[in-house]
Amino acid sequence: MIKLENVTKAYKGEVLALHEASCEIGKGEFVFLVGPSGSGKSTFIRLLNKEEQPDKGRIFVAGKDIGELSSWKVPFLRRNIGCIFQDFKLLPTKTVAQNVAFALEVIGRPKHVVKNQVPAILELVGLSKKMNNLPHELSGGEQQRVSIARAFVNRPLILLADEPTGNLDPATSVGIMRLLDRINRTGTTVVMATHDRGIVDTMRRRVVELDRGVIVRDQARGVYE
Amino acid sequence: MAIKLDYVVRETGSNLRRNITLTLASIVTVMVSLALFGVALLLRQGVDNATQRWEGGIEFVIFMNAEASEAQLNAVASDLDSSPEVGRVTFFDKDQAFEEFKDLFEGTPEIIETVSPADLPPSFRVVPVDTDAQAVEQLASRFERSAGVREVVSAQETIRNIESLTDVASVIVLIGSMFLLVAAAALIFNTIRMAMFARRREIEVMKLVGATNWFIRVPFMVEGLIQGLVGALLAVGAVFGANNLLERFLSRRSSLQLLESFVVASSDVWRTSFLLVVIGAVVGTVGSAIAVSRFLDV
Repeated sequence: MIKLENVTKAYKGEVLALHEASCEIGKGEFVFLVGPSGSGKSTFIRLLNKEEQPDKGRIFVAGKDIGELSSWKVPFLRRNIGCIFQDFKLLPTKTVAQNVAFALEVIGRPKHVVKNQVPAILELVGLSKKMNNLPHELSGGEQQRVSIARAFVNRPLILLADEPTGNLDPATSVGIMRLLDRINRTGTTVVMATHDRGIVDTMRRRVVELDRGVIVRDQARGVYE
Repeated sequence: MAIKLDYVVRETGSNLRRNITLTLASIVTVMVSLALFGVALLLRQGVDNATQRWEGGIEFVIFMNAEASEAQLNAVASDLDSSPEVGRVTFFDKDQAFEEFKDLFEGTPEIIETVSPADLPPSFRVVPVDTDAQAVEQLASRFERSAGVREVVSAQETIRNIESLTDVASVIVLIGSMFLLVAAAALIFNTIRMAMFARRREIEVMKLVGATNWFIRVPFMVEGLIQGLVGALLAVGAVFGANNLLERFLSRRSSLQLLESFVVASSDVWRTSFLLVVIGAVVGTVGSAIAVSRFLDV
């Protein structure tokens, strides 16, 4: 599903964000990216949906070399990739339902699809009762659920999560992880960058550790350290 | 992959409302610049029409009576030919006079229909050797009493003055309107930039979930287009208003001298209006397209 071949990426005047990184992630896998701040986790994720371009090396997503992708095709790549973030990136003036519907509307899904899909996905993330609330009326955990609903409503092949529990307390984080686990069980590949030792150690999934841009460990059913 | 019309209408509408003061500033600037541009063009056209027969150094015209006999025409012609002060003479027969008349009134066919070649006076257009005002006056007056001559009309100082004055004036106005047009494009550029800044979160999410670049761009470009178009339409209104006022003014003052009056055919007004609308649309679209490509980074 995802393959990196000797990928190197450096930002201007800085140390390498990724150095000769090679990694293959199969369909339906759940992978934790761990490592200290600045080790290249976010760059790894941003390269996958072509928010950044590698300096060297090739990246394949769903069998396609995304370096060869012309820029007008990038949106279509992103339709196969859901993204969630530490800061949720919800639109503050739209309700929960509108935030989720927005993701479908802007890729041109017809109205009846939007009308069916939005309540179904909100049911899945357990927010049916809060459909018409605005994001600031929700707790952090609930807001992250909305953002997961938005990322998953289009049934992407891959879900990228950049520190999704970074702003949440441990109890709430467990709920979010259960949800990501459920999504993973539907066959969606999940790649999650995290600092959260507790989560990694309880979930016991594949762990890829980065240190200053180098992949130093790739372990099935791994732990944080 | 069609971009939905209702989406574009909704987004563009809310953008226009959100930035209402900037939007109005852009529209007014487009309007003023295009109105000036249009009036300058029409002024030129009008003066050209009014002074058409004085082109090429012709200093006076001898109009014969419409019913002047062949003999009378020949007498005046040979008189002109034998005068050493006359440099060049062009004879305009009734048919040529009619052609010229049609040219002058091409936008108002109702007037052309009331006239046939037989009603129009043949004329001699004279280019004298010496263009000094007094010499011309003297030469012209010699023909005033010849048989069959209706009147001798000379290109007075005033006509020359009007010609050069309007030339200078219209060039100044045209240059001024160009500057205003650039200002209008810059204002539209800024309005679009503000609109995009106000919506940066939405744009970020749209890119994230895979909205196409055109889907993101189009509402902003339509917004710029609307600003240009509305400004242009207001300018067209202003030009029509100005033209109407002028016509009313002229018809009160010089209804007798129909042929000599300052005429702007309505077809000229329409052509100018069309040009204004096109320029407005181009300025709006170009301004917003530059803003979109500079700040959208898609």
